[in-house]
Amino acid sequence: MTLPGPVFLMGGLFGGAVVLQLLRRWTGLMAWLAVVITGGMSLFIALVPLGRRLSLGPVTVSLGDPLNLFGRLLIIEPVDRLPIMFIGTTAALIFVIAWRLLPHSNFFPVGLAIVALLAGSLMVEQVVFAALMIEMAAVLTVFPLHEPVERADGRRYGGRIKGGLQYLVYATLALPGLMVTQLLLEQFAIFPADLQLLRTATILLSLSLALLLGAVPFQSWLSSVATDGSPPVVTFLFTINVGTVWFLLLAYLETYRWLSVQTAFGSLFTSVGLLMMVIGGALAASQRRLGRLVGYATLVDNGAMFVAIGTGQVAGLSLTLIILMARPLALGLMTLGLDGLRRLGKGSDAIDQLAGAAWRAPWRTLAFMVGGVAMAGFPLSPGFAARWGLYRLMAEASLFQAVLALVGSSGVMMGLISAVRALLTPGSGSDRGAALTEDRVVVILIFVLLGCTLALGLFPQPLSQVALQMAQGFSFFAP
Amino acid sequence: MRPFSLWLERFSQFVSLPAAWGIFLTGALIYIVSEWRIRFLALIVQYAFIGVLFARVFDTRPEMALMKIVVGWLICGALLLSERIRRVEQRELEPVGRWAANLPFRFLLLITATVVARLASQRFALPYVSPDLGLACFLLVVLAVLFFGTEEEDPGVVGIGVLNLLAALEIFYFAQDPGLLVSGLMVSLNLLVGLAISYLTVAEVAV
Repeated sequence: MTLPGPVFLMGGLFGGAVVLQLLRRWTGLMAWLAVVITGGMSLFIALVPLGRRLSLGPVTVSLGDPLNLFGRLLIIEPVDRLPIMFIGTTAALIFVIAWRLLPHSNFFPVGLAIVALLAGSLMVEQVVFAALMIEMAAVLTVFPLHEPVERADGRRYGGRIKGGLQYLVYATLALPGLMVTQLLLEQFAIFPADLQLLRTATILLSLSLALLLGAVPFQSWLSSVATDGSPPVVTFLFTINVGTVWFLLLAYLETYRWLSVQTAFGSLFTSVGLLMMVIGGALAASQRRLGRLVGYATLVDNGAMFVAIGTGQVAGLSLTLIILMARPLALGLMTLGLDGLRRLGKGSDAIDQLAGAAWRAPWRTLAFMVGGVAMAGFPLSPGFAARWGLYRLMAEASLFQAVLALVGSSGVMMGLISAVRALLTPGSGSDRGAALTEDRVVVILIFVLLGCTLALGLFPQPLSQVALQMAQGFSFFAP
Repeated sequence: MRPFSLWLERFSQFVSLPAAWGIFLTGALIYIVSEWRIRFLALIVQYAFIGVLFARVFDTRPEMALMKIVVGWLICGALLLSERIRRVEQRELEPVGRWAANLPFRFLLLITATVVARLASQRFALPYVSPDLGLACFLLVVLAVLFFGTEEEDPGVVGIGVLNLLAALEIFYFAQDPGLLVSGLMVSLNLLVGLAISYLTVAEVAV
């Protein structure tokens, strides 16, 4: 029996999700199985050529073969390989992080199902099916996002669900635009002279993607999710769910060339991106809650990606991909830090309640700080190389815009400095609680992530080479 | 066409305009009454009206309309159960027939929303759907916006808003592309949303 690539990948992930659901009692086994499945998927996609048939016992897998589902095709194109690898590798990394933070959590099985749906959205050709898969993944994300977290003393924290509700609402609001775009594109195929159809499709597609990416003025879900959600799941959402939407945006720019040749394309992306960076930076600088800081740092990061695409150059596209690939490390570190600090604050991440927490949870504070520096795109982090390249690219066209982008990033840094200063300031006698009992594995994880961040910050060439390779897969900016 | 399908098509044509207003009235009831049992009764009736409109959209496949009603009622059951668990956890005993807060403001919003939906359906007629189906779509969308805008902390009502928005999208989209795969995925999505809202309703009080 020959299995087409989409069946093998999505079937394996969904099957894995069912098995993990049965193994929830054994967190370690469940987490590492999730790591093996997602990591294995990435390796498989990386090593096996699309045209080759690989015999795995009774079945033969042909990655390049399409799956025909009621006349709709799912196929792994060469340009999909690196995005699917990114999703798989990032998921594996986050599952390792969540291993010690989320005991008996439904995050592992649900996470595999989400990865399956998001990979499916990259493989399917029609916008409508990609939109439905993205929406389903968004709905599934809500489950682990608001799962109560168990503290060491057996008590649980959580219970605020506003973030998940907002994400659900925004993802659903994005759905009609994407589905109607599909209808308009089908009509345009019949009436190619009717350019109004394309204009309407452009507006609807842009609005929907802006909702899904949390672009200004639809950014409120980013901060709500980061404030209320379980930190590892927030990282999953901001890297994998949002990352897939970015890859879809690039895929649509590649498929529907009329999108990128619109006269307003570059200025629209640059304006939206700059607005996101400035507003995100201003909000981050004035934050008194650590979770919100993570949300606004992501807003600024997304803004930088918009600006990079708005340059209309292959170099800008590479920078977008570097920022996206650097995000899991930075957010992973912030997650590890935020999780510990929230446990210390009995579920609260308000800076005022965490005065002096740096002395009671030094490693977690260090992780949060270095992750924050990386998200802000400051030196000794992989994000710095991308942001510096972006400022230089922008300065060639407009120095003012480059300075605005730098100001936005500095806002995140200011918010971080303010938070760390409060964490370092010892509280009054009554505020002083017991130190956080550190899990050695978590400390080791923090050091590994710190090492990777510093190594990629000092030597960003491997990351930029992969990003350039990915960018070359897209030809919409080619002269 | 089979006699039953023919009869059903004529029936749904006849009742689709009243069904559109029925959807709005049940939505308005959910909006102005805070007693959760009445809200869920209204939602059950609303799904019956949505089913009538689906019979108009899928005129040759009435089983799709039936499936929409069954799925909707399943979701109602899940929401009802989780709301009950939440109330027990919170030990809230509310008297039957309690109205929502800011009632005059809500009435004003409802009247405005009705006018907006009515004018929008006349001014921006949706392509490929009949005027009564178009009106139903606009009414469902304004209801969803009202639920999102004024009940953002209540997972049950926001969830009903999400389901209303999906129902509006289904009516509009399926009138043009009634494909089996899209229909199946939309059914799954509705069920998932229902489950997620039930989960959030319970998760809020689980700590």
